[in-house]
Amino acid sequence: MVPVPPVPAAGGSAGAADWAAWLAATPPALAMRGHAWLYPAVEIVHIAGFAVLVGAVAMFDLRVLGFGRELPVRLLAQYLLPWSVGSMLLVLPSGLLLFAAEAPDLAANRVFLLKLALIAVAGLNALAFHGGPYRSAGRWESRAPPRARLHAMLSLLLWLAVIACGRLLAYV
Amino acid sequence: MKRWFLLAAFAATTASAHHGWSEYNADKPLQLSGTIQEAGYVQPHGWVRLKSGGKTWIVVLAPPGRMESRGLSKDMLSVGGTASVYGYPHRTKADEMRAERITIAGKTTELR
Repeated sequence: MVPVPPVPAAGGSAGAADWAAWLAATPPALAMRGHAWLYPAVEIVHIAGFAVLVGAVAMFDLRVLGFGRELPVRLLAQYLLPWSVGSMLLVLPSGLLLFAAEAPDLAANRVFLLKLALIAVAGLNALAFHGGPYRSAGRWESRAPPRARLHAMLSLLLWLAVIACGRLLAYV
Repeated sequence: MKRWFLLAAFAATTASAHHGWSEYNADKPLQLSGTIQEAGYVQPHGWVRLKSGGKTWIVVLAPPGRMESRGLSKDMLSVGGTASVYGYPHRTKADEMRAERITIAGKTTELR
């Protein structure tokens, strides 16, 4: 998690190192490293955004898994899921800034790359759920069908893993 | 079933209770003295490039706010100045070490 330009990054392919070094030299990245409180402030925004994102997703997943069955699934989805989508407005710009500040290191950081891959898989899992079992959610009996529960369980595990990667990438 | 996955969730979140020094090998402490070639008083960690003997090390310090509050100001890390550091080498990056403490002009600052 160290020096940033002008110190060259170790590891990673030459192409990746080039654009990462370029990104780390942009004014926003310089401000992130040089300003006294900008970096921690952006970290706080990122974490608060993640709390809303994963919180809303987890509450919905738990409902699909059978908690709070008195709450209508589709109504709950209509309430919760826009929050998780909207939280991207906090998560993505702050994440990009945090990445830019240490781009050469992070672009070569396996835990960071794993985090991105897990986010992509979590997104595909959500698409598969909404394009699949969720379409018949209005007709679910008291228990969601097994495939819906499988997607919900996967979602919980994937987002927990994303959080774990986000925390642990500072330690490798 | 429900209990099982709540337990798993708990285990997954507590697994992150690490601290940031695990990538450095505390079994091989180093004491280096040398000349500061370059310094960064930057987030998330400050650093100096320290030329000691025939080797130039990247020495990772602490976040700027912590260094400031402990009395290690930005201008104390001046290029050309001398510093001595006690710390641990990175497990895989051969020229990087993280400093437990740094001494500049007779003043020692704890960095952890």
